[in-house]
Amino acid sequence: MLELRFEYFFAIIELMTDRSYLGEFELMLLLAVVHLGEDAYGVPISRELEGHRGRSVSLGSVYAALERLQTKGLVVSNLGDPTPERGGKAKRYFRITKKGLRQIQETRRTLTRLWQAVPELKLVMRGERG
Amino acid sequence: MKRATPPPLATWILEHCIAGHCDEALAGDLLEGYSSGYSDGWYWRQVFAACAVSWSESFRARIPLLAFALIWSMMAPAWKVFTDGIQSAPVFDRILPYFGPVWVFPSLAVWLLLNSIFLWVGIFVFLVFRGSFRFKTLLRKFLLASLIFLPIYGVAWVWGCLYWYDFLAQVKVATTLLGQVADLQMLANVIRIPYFIALVAALWSADPRPVHMSQLLLQESPPVECSTRFDSLQQAVTQDPHNIKQFFGFMVVVGLVNAMLASILLGRLFDLQSHTFSTLFIRAILYVVIGVLAGVGGSWFYWKNPSSLFREHSPIPFPLFALICASGWIWVPSMAMFSDQLSPATAIVAAVGAVFLAVGLRNATFSVFAPAVHDSAGCESEEAELFSQSLYRAPWEAHGYVITFLLYAGGCALAMRLNLTAAALFALCAFLFVWKLAFAPNHELDRKREYRRAALRLACVAIPAVLVTVWALLDGEAHGHRADEMNAALAASNKTTSEHAHRKTDSQSSAYGLGGYESLILWPVPEKKQIVPPLPEISLLPPGTTQPLIIPFNGQYWYVQPPNKIPGPAAHQANGTPLGYEIESINSTPLVMDAHQALGAAIPVARCRQIQVEIENRDNRMGVIALAVLLTDAASPKNQVLYLGQQPVVSTEPEHFSFKSQPVFETLRFPVPASARIRRFDEITVMMLPDVEHAFVGPKIAIKQFQLFPR
Repeated sequence: MLELRFEYFFAIIELMTDRSYLGEFELMLLLAVVHLGEDAYGVPISRELEGHRGRSVSLGSVYAALERLQTKGLVVSNLGDPTPERGGKAKRYFRITKKGLRQIQETRRTLTRLWQAVPELKLVMRGERG
Repeated sequence: MKRATPPPLATWILEHCIAGHCDEALAGDLLEGYSSGYSDGWYWRQVFAACAVSWSESFRARIPLLAFALIWSMMAPAWKVFTDGIQSAPVFDRILPYFGPVWVFPSLAVWLLLNSIFLWVGIFVFLVFRGSFRFKTLLRKFLLASLIFLPIYGVAWVWGCLYWYDFLAQVKVATTLLGQVADLQMLANVIRIPYFIALVAALWSADPRPVHMSQLLLQESPPVECSTRFDSLQQAVTQDPHNIKQFFGFMVVVGLVNAMLASILLGRLFDLQSHTFSTLFIRAILYVVIGVLAGVGGSWFYWKNPSSLFREHSPIPFPLFALICASGWIWVPSMAMFSDQLSPATAIVAAVGAVFLAVGLRNATFSVFAPAVHDSAGCESEEAELFSQSLYRAPWEAHGYVITFLLYAGGCALAMRLNLTAAALFALCAFLFVWKLAFAPNHELDRKREYRRAALRLACVAIPAVLVTVWALLDGEAHGHRADEMNAALAASNKTTSEHAHRKTDSQSSAYGLGGYESLILWPVPEKKQIVPPLPEISLLPPGTTQPLIIPFNGQYWYVQPPNKIPGPAAHQANGTPLGYEIESINSTPLVMDAHQALGAAIPVARCRQIQVEIENRDNRMGVIALAVLLTDAASPKNQVLYLGQQPVVSTEPEHFSFKSQPVFETLRFPVPASARIRRFDEITVMMLPDVEHAFVGPKIAIKQFQLFPR
């Protein structure tokens, strides 16, 4: 039997705080960036999200979330050339990093496992009632 | 029809009202979206959302700053009480008249300086622990904080006076330090607001620290192992870092406890007698040496124990460890002696010892406690060139808050005279502060160099430590003498003094223990020449009397705070009248003042037509004061009273009020009903009924005499 030691507690806490799971909006953003590829900047990303979610998305919140993802190292960005139709303002293109891809895959695996457990749960409940 | 360009006001808001700098890409995206067919409403909504999100993110990133400013400004009421005490010092009353009509400017400058010091210390502490300490920016933030504080304080003061004057006039800041810090009432919070805003505004740009994306990338790169540390150390660290750290801390604590025990035993075993300075000096050296040896011995015992982690592979050699820790343990004997004498110096000495301990340990044990070092050389990423802009990172550093908490707790413990607790808290605070402040050495651990430094540090510390121990010994001797004298005086006092004097001593000593007086009794000053004849016991207003009975007041004035109605057993007693004392409540409870005149014999109520109360008024505080008279039959089983109503003191009414350089004498008349609940009375009580202005101060009104007119 394992002896519960004090330092294990801190190790668990450290591991828990170290592991940052993606939020719903962040996951959607990362998927949109992956889907758009080379053309992933503010307007297409927000349209992509609006198209799939069925409701409008504020560009401010898109940029705030992308900033957070960039701070975590999940996406990177670079500025494009300024264009006249944008009032001479440059586009900011986002690309996903390897770490971002790993995070998406891990989140997908976790969600898949969770979904796979749902029908079993229903069967168990039906069995109990029956 | 939609216009070609977006609403200019919305664009202006986007450019100027967003937190930080406006993102060019965001502005361009909005413009592109608008050009592609979105409406004005969409544009407005996007602009407002962008502003809201940016401010929300900005505040979220500055949670540590907001929390620090909140905690620091909790101390503001205590600081205000402290600075008020400084500003009301007599020296200012003497200096300010030299400035003539412009006295307000130096007064304001002193006030601003005193308040700025509080803000500057807060800024300094925050910047030091955030690791963004630069002298130039520090001065700018100091100036900014002072400049912001002045108008914010003015606005808060005017605002408070406009809306809550009645409420704020009635409440006062708590009397104890702990109460002031923990006070969450309106007044305390109004005091805190300017400090909080000034701190946040001054430190806003300092937090969070900008972090370049290239740095973020480098953090992702795997750490490159450094082969520069010497082998035994590396081996010890790689065994189990957590255990190594814990055991190292244990070694330090063991030595400290041992030194403490030895010092306490030394103090108990050798009783102090009168000594010359040279013998005291020798004794101090002996104490210091024994304290250090005890610390070293205790640590050595555990260090060399068979179950010790350091027995085979120690992070640093034991002699080096002992030499480093000795500069901290050397202060323990003096600290133990100060603690024995209940001296606040205990905390100071403990903090000093902790500082030296932390400095030495930090340098020599960097390899044990330092975080993993990542070698950035050769870690260039192909994506690094993409990050031309800097981003913000909000690090979480809890030690600053821990140190602040320890500082508060130590201050509270000191105020409560828990010297040993305060010493422990301040020592921990100082240790953490220095530990985090000290820069980690960027060179290899050189044993010879560390030995030299530790020996030099110990040599420098030894003489001050011995001198402090001499001071502690001298103080202990004086403390012992004082205790002996007090015991002798108390013994003599018990035998010779009267009961009254004994009561007085008791009340004073208990009052000192409480740090104030729960209630107060003023006895009239015994006049040397005027002898008040005792009241005739039977002939008070006998039937057939036509002349009024004059009774000069020779009773007591009571000052109590509700819900108390009578002074408690620990009431402070003094001789005098309200004219000679400034008596005020120093907490948020109002003051109640009564004057009590015992008659010595009962007077039938039916025999008295009117009672006139002659008073002397020297009160220069605006506000109407009324007097109420109560007649008490103390002989009745229930102490029945007859209320004669209240009369205003005319000289305190607004239309008659004037600043009094001379006393004003007045007579107030109270008719006595022919039939009442009580048939006789043997005590007259005069109650002072003040307005709000006098709720917390005793009115400077004295009772001169009573005239009882027969019916």
